[in-house]
Amino acid sequence: MDALNFVLNGQKVSYEGSANDRLLDVLRDEYDCKSVKCGCKEGECGACSVLIDGVLYNSCCVAMGAIADRSVVTMEGFRETERFAVLDKAFAEMSAVQCGFCIPGMVLAAEALLSANPHPDEEQIREGLSGNLCRCTGYNAIVKAVGNAAKEGNGLW
Amino acid sequence: MVRYTPVTLEEALRIRAEQDVVPYAGGTDLMVENRKGVTYLFLNRVSELQQISEDDTYVRIGSGVTFTQALKSPLVPDLMKEAVSHIAAPAIRNAGTFGGNLGNGSAKADSVLIEYVTDAKLRIASAAKERTVDVDAFYKGRKQLDLESDELIAEILIPKEGLDDYYYQKIGGRNALAISRVSFAGILNKEDGKIKRIAAAFGAVADTVLRYKEIEKMLIGKTAAEAGELKEAFIQKYADTMVLTRGRVSAEYRKSVCCNLLRDFLDQMI
Amino acid sequence: MEKISQSVVKKDHSPKMGGRSVYVADYNTAKNGDGILTGKILHSKVARARIRGVEVPTLPDGYYYVDAKDIPGDNNVNIVLDDMPVYCRDTVEYIGEAIGMVVGPDSKKVDRILSEIKVNYEELEPVLDLRTAKEAFFNYEYGHGDMDKAFAEADHVYEEEFETGYQEQTYLETQGMMAEPEEGGSMYVHGSMQCIYYVHGAVKRVLNCEPEGVHIFQDVTGGGFGGKEAFPSILATEVAVAAKKANAPVRCVFDRREDMEYTSKRHPSICRIRAAVKDGKVTALDCDVTFNAGAYSTLSAVVLQRGIIAAPGVYNVPNIHVTGRALKTNTSPCGAYRGFGAPQTFFAIEMMMDHIAQDLGVESLAFKEAHLAKQNDPTSTCGKYHFPVPVQDMINEVDKVCDYRKKKAEYSKPQTGRYRRGIGMSMIFHGAGFTGSGERDIIKAVTRLHKYADGRVEILASNGEIGQGVRTTFCKIVANELNLPLEKVFYDHPDTARVPDSGPTVASRSLMTVGELLRRASIKLREIWKDGEEQEVEERYRQPDFMIPFSLEKFEGDAYPTYAWAVNAIEVEVDTLTGVTKVLGAYGNFDVGTPMDYNIVMGQMEGGFLQGIGYSSIEKMDYDDKGRIRNNSFSDYLIPTTKDVPNMQCMLHVEKFPDGPYGAKGAGELPLVGVPGAYLEAVEQALGGCKKHKLNHVPFTAEDTLKELMKEAE
Repeated sequence: MDALNFVLNGQKVSYEGSANDRLLDVLRDEYDCKSVKCGCKEGECGACSVLIDGVLYNSCCVAMGAIADRSVVTMEGFRETERFAVLDKAFAEMSAVQCGFCIPGMVLAAEALLSANPHPDEEQIREGLSGNLCRCTGYNAIVKAVGNAAKEGNGLW
Repeated sequence: MVRYTPVTLEEALRIRAEQDVVPYAGGTDLMVENRKGVTYLFLNRVSELQQISEDDTYVRIGSGVTFTQALKSPLVPDLMKEAVSHIAAPAIRNAGTFGGNLGNGSAKADSVLIEYVTDAKLRIASAAKERTVDVDAFYKGRKQLDLESDELIAEILIPKEGLDDYYYQKIGGRNALAISRVSFAGILNKEDGKIKRIAAAFGAVADTVLRYKEIEKMLIGKTAAEAGELKEAFIQKYADTMVLTRGRVSAEYRKSVCCNLLRDFLDQMI
Repeated sequence: MEKISQSVVKKDHSPKMGGRSVYVADYNTAKNGDGILTGKILHSKVARARIRGVEVPTLPDGYYYVDAKDIPGDNNVNIVLDDMPVYCRDTVEYIGEAIGMVVGPDSKKVDRILSEIKVNYEELEPVLDLRTAKEAFFNYEYGHGDMDKAFAEADHVYEEEFETGYQEQTYLETQGMMAEPEEGGSMYVHGSMQCIYYVHGAVKRVLNCEPEGVHIFQDVTGGGFGGKEAFPSILATEVAVAAKKANAPVRCVFDRREDMEYTSKRHPSICRIRAAVKDGKVTALDCDVTFNAGAYSTLSAVVLQRGIIAAPGVYNVPNIHVTGRALKTNTSPCGAYRGFGAPQTFFAIEMMMDHIAQDLGVESLAFKEAHLAKQNDPTSTCGKYHFPVPVQDMINEVDKVCDYRKKKAEYSKPQTGRYRRGIGMSMIFHGAGFTGSGERDIIKAVTRLHKYADGRVEILASNGEIGQGVRTTFCKIVANELNLPLEKVFYDHPDTARVPDSGPTVASRSLMTVGELLRRASIKLREIWKDGEEQEVEERYRQPDFMIPFSLEKFEGDAYPTYAWAVNAIEVEVDTLTGVTKVLGAYGNFDVGTPMDYNIVMGQMEGGFLQGIGYSSIEKMDYDDKGRIRNNSFSDYLIPTTKDVPNMQCMLHVEKFPDGPYGAKGAGELPLVGVPGAYLEAVEQALGGCKKHKLNHVPFTAEDTLKELMKEAE
């Protein structure tokens, strides 16, 4: 069987392991994408969120076979973008990052939300981030930060 | 290690017939189960399974359609949209599919409840033949499906008629990322002042979604006044008939919610 | 807003935002050639048993089985008492107790070996019911006044019982620890933790070595909330023993289910209160507090102390008698969790006061207001509220924001229809810092400031950043006092090899206590500052002069130097068909003194407040008749999402504390503590008040609500 090809953060890569392997584990162990966090391995916390072809997924609930020829973006890739810079500033201004464990996933969820809806209202932001648990912030600062980023980054999304 | 990632249904069915494989649609249930030693048949590239269409009678939802995709489609009935909009959270709705929701065999599956209440049919395909089965016949018992080892669920056929008059409620443990603890869907159509059709389905309370067509008959052909008089007896009939499985949340609680919602459905719709 | 309160970009913002921070699970594994072995714990499957034997299969090369026989020193994890073993002794006392650990390079093989090990248990009858449990780890009693007289003369005597359940900290990063043998024989242990010196003390004793033989480093830590106060000492000793045996780095990171089932949680409780009322005033309170400690004592002593001190609430009642005990059951040991025993007792007293008021037919808030303690009043332990008590002002501020009094009156009218509303208010304090003389007699905090020749200043302290912002706020204090730009001051994750013991990261003490030491150290440094020179100053804890010495034997004196205060209002709507309760609004007013950073403090308040709402409503955890925790996953134990309390408004009331830096007091725990009382009062009002439905436990779930409504139907 041929190696499994996919694009990771803009680079073509070939994975030689099993199609059953969990994307979360592969990203962390084989490709050193340590920003992808394991919070539960059950699709219930969003800490392992990644973008596949621009769409948000929990990487713990994706087997490698499902990503053949697709494009995966983790925080390692997203942090190099202009959109990240806007979100970064907005999160910094709200001090929306506490322990940080949920943040890479949360920010990718924000990116997915803003890509689909560049001008969300508060309710839509809360919906867009609803699969990403955060135990530190109570969410208010994060929700405000995403709203501010949408305003600041007008035109980027 | 072999890898099955077919791009056509024909190819998928051939592999399904020849190999011992587990169909993998969205992965959201399978990856949590994390079964050892299985071979997945990845269906996410089979575009034939990802279509939403309609004919004179049915809205046809491909088994590989994701919940997110359905929410964007003008063809998918509002009742179904409302139910899938309450599933988990965006990332799960992006991955989860109608076929997967059925194939997992859980009575908590939110789209399956709607398929029960709308008398949906499933188109089941294999390399050798194709057949159509009613959704309630497809579920033979707890996690037991009428699906042969060479078959795949291809399409869900939802009858279009009368879906606007619906009632839906999902009770989860919280407002997002919640598995149903009780879910209820009802449809009630009237014609010439009489009840033409009534359907009531209960999710997450037993081994399969529950629907009792025999009890429903009590109200068919009745006027609002007649139905109003029969209402308490009707609800009592459900209370006597429904047998709930035990769970983290007590059966007594779930049963009383079922009865309360059934009553509210009747109060609003009759 | 004062200058110090103005928000800055947090020091740890950038690496965390970009996913560059290295948590303990992020170091590369043996598979990637870095030689770290994976350790997995062999947990007891039964709640109480004698271990007759453990059959370990033949291990492949490079794999090890580690247990108590491998411990060079004491098989005791040093927490408060010496009862918790590293690896079990001849019995196991709860499901999940560590019997041993399997260690090796490939985690899948480790799993397989683990599944092949056979443990021969001689099962013993476990104690699981808190109501019939007899063995008390700790028993306390205190009081003052003449209880007999007060009860004899009372117009009314009330008696009620209140119950609270488990709460799991649910930090997003599970427990994880790594130990690495170093050249020269010392052991380097690092991981997710709140208290490097607690871990240091524990590992040193287990490895039987000198203080220099061990050094502990706090990795970036993904949340603690108390859950990483004591448990890391347990896990650290386990991996250290394994690393010693394998003579290689060993890391053990819990999966979510392990973490939820086997690590410490908030103590379930039963509080009974008897109250004497004369002429419309409560004249005596007799409080009896029982905590479920679990199988080992760990931190239960101190949790219970804080709990019973808070038992009479924020009220000045002349006659008080309080008893408390922490009972042993064969369940996971409970431990520290934000609030530390006080949420349980405040819940009881707040509900009690509300119920008495309802019975007397007076407005609940007015009744509480009539009993509020004021400055110079005695505390429950005959100490003194030395500083102004701002609760009345804070109540009025909350009223203004949410129209509390008007809504309370409106919702008390009979309601019909599917949806019914209620609102409730609670008022609480949080004693800032360690209880009693702990700071002076046990912790004896030391901090240093190290100035480099280039003018940068490094803070040397042992308090860990766990998301609460201490790496930023400490720096702000020092930069402010030295008049330096914030970039010139830095505070890295602490390493016992480099920093003095400024105490643990607990008890809302870091900023108030250690922050003040840093402020004073900064003044010292400022006075001797010489450009271009490397300089160092040290500062040690001094107890404020005004304090009335606290006696732990008698529970007498100032248990705390000062108090942070909170007034919470919660407004709900109950769906009578499903029992589901929607929080329409949650309003929290918090006095933590001067905020050291507005955003950081608000982040603490909002995060804690939402945790409190979860605790009161949806966070249900219980064990079955075998002693096994049933709610061991994120789908079974639900914490709030973005969509559960969209309308949560926090505000700050500032009552400065002269002995805290720029007037700051303890903050972290405060926002959680008062929520259960406000929440349940609101639900009870929506159901028609305590004469119809007397509610007395949290979490109060949809199922509980519907059960109450079904009683009505019958």
